[in-house]
Amino acid sequence: MAQMKRYSYDLPLAGLVLLFALSLPLWAGDYMLGVGFTLAMWLAMVQSWSLLSATTGYISLGHAVFCGIGAYAMVLALPVMGIAISLIFGGAMAGLAALLIGLPVMRVRGPYFVILTFGLAELAKAIVMQAETSMGQFSRLIFNAPSLAVLYWVMLALAVIAVAAAWLLSRSRLGAGLVAVRENEEAAEAVGVPVARLKTIALVLSAVIPGMIGGLLTLRSSYFDAAQAFDPVLSFTTVTMAIVGGLRSPRGPFLGAIAFVLLSEVLWLRLPQLYMIALGALLIAFILFAPRGLAGMVSRLFASGDKSGKVAGHGTA
Amino acid sequence: MAAQLFFAALCSGALYALVALGLNLVYGTLRLLNIAHGDLAMIGAYVAFVAFSTFGLAPPVSMVLAAGLCAAMGWALYAGIFRRLFATPETAQRLEANSLILFYGVSVILQNVMALGFTSTARGYSYMGEVWRIGPVMASGNRLLMLGTALAICLGVLLVLRFHAFGWSLRAVIERREAAGIVGVNVDRVQGITIALGFAIAGVAGVLVSMTEQITPFMGFPLTIAAFVVIVLGGLGNIFAGIVAGFVLGFVETFGIALTSATYRSILIYGLFVTVLLLRPQGLFGKAIQVR
Repeated sequence: MAQMKRYSYDLPLAGLVLLFALSLPLWAGDYMLGVGFTLAMWLAMVQSWSLLSATTGYISLGHAVFCGIGAYAMVLALPVMGIAISLIFGGAMAGLAALLIGLPVMRVRGPYFVILTFGLAELAKAIVMQAETSMGQFSRLIFNAPSLAVLYWVMLALAVIAVAAAWLLSRSRLGAGLVAVRENEEAAEAVGVPVARLKTIALVLSAVIPGMIGGLLTLRSSYFDAAQAFDPVLSFTTVTMAIVGGLRSPRGPFLGAIAFVLLSEVLWLRLPQLYMIALGALLIAFILFAPRGLAGMVSRLFASGDKSGKVAGHGTA
Repeated sequence: MAAQLFFAALCSGALYALVALGLNLVYGTLRLLNIAHGDLAMIGAYVAFVAFSTFGLAPPVSMVLAAGLCAAMGWALYAGIFRRLFATPETAQRLEANSLILFYGVSVILQNVMALGFTSTARGYSYMGEVWRIGPVMASGNRLLMLGTALAICLGVLLVLRFHAFGWSLRAVIERREAAGIVGVNVDRVQGITIALGFAIAGVAGVLVSMTEQITPFMGFPLTIAAFVVIVLGGLGNIFAGIVAGFVLGFVETFGIALTSATYRSILIYGLFVTVLLLRPQGLFGKAIQVR
């Protein structure tokens, strides 16, 4: 109930923000547009990651693998299919990869799952790098990439789709089943929740958009390099943003993405090492001292005394 | 040729066994997956580099320094943060569930602090580089020192676990922490000493690596992954099987590369890692244990 109330309160605000975001390329300069692109990308990425990891509690430390697969599939498809179809093809391939690995991978639990996702991402990276080397390719240039404004609008669309998917999921039977998996997988299975199937669906859902994000990032930099497309920093940053933003709140991904994009604008260009150090320190601090993240802080600030702030943390326990 | 390969496999196996030993001790007693483990080895490697190039101290001296420094870091981490979190079941559970992500943060911090301080340039020094001929094998002095030190430490830890009262307490905590506490083991003390010991072993391993390879602030990660492969092969928390698995990885890697080419190294290691996790998450030698 409280979840629905919060959404209806957020809805007009979301409409305004969306209008503002849509109009950005019409008046903003390249720098602002670049920041907007990055922000939309992280929002889409963190939200997609949350579809799997925040809802089921299976923390993936390897989501870059889907970006990498999507980017590679897009690059390979480009000469045949054209840009738009190739992008979608990249997303589809990422989803297909998730479907293929879903059953065996989602059986592994807890810390094993976390290191497994990481290992899988690195394995995929090593295989693609080896394949590229043996084909004599070290990086592939992309010509005729669309303008930044177009890329931005596509990325914004992905972010909106990801947010909408998270919203729909939180109200669906599927979402309820996944939360049951997170809270007590054995009990969920015992009462008839088709646990294995739901987990695989969640993995596929959370893989498709990162696949297309990978393609867009490659178009933006106009070249493909396996080490960059499968960069583990991508996975790590996603997890950090999600945790700092707050895993159990629909506002979490927004807050996490905004906080880190601001931080990176301040620090990344001048002092990249300092940015990474800040990233690590914030991650540690939030895990240890503020497990509900920025969203938890915000709701405590604005709703002290109001019980609805608590629901996100305890309602399902 | 085969004897030479065998020696190379033995050396990297001993190193893997040593790196994994520290990781396994910390996981076994504290149930924390320290993904910053290899970065502690990196710290140890830089201690050796600075000690050698600035103060003229030989690596055996640096081993003591690095062990001390890393042990102090482990103890500080335990006394400053973990002890308080282990005090209540709720925070202990949260800590264990998030330990991997938490240490990822530590790892990123260590790497970038060192990159700020020493730049990302690869460093190296040369110590005991002369080559010895032992039967059919050509071996450099520093590799022999590495092999000997790693074997001695592994053996030493196994002996303590087998014959010393502290080793018994440690094994008791690994097997069943709550029950160990009930029968009078000072769990807090065992955990604090073990994390210091595990970190110290990583520091020494780093010194050993620095004698034979160039070092960078980012050298730790491949070591961490190798150590994870090893302890997953042996079964998390199973100390003896972990040491055996270290040698298994050393042999698989060395002979695997000899049969294919060096570019397949990552595919080989990560492939083995993923396969083992998917097929036998309890390890090749272990019984199934329930992990939350």
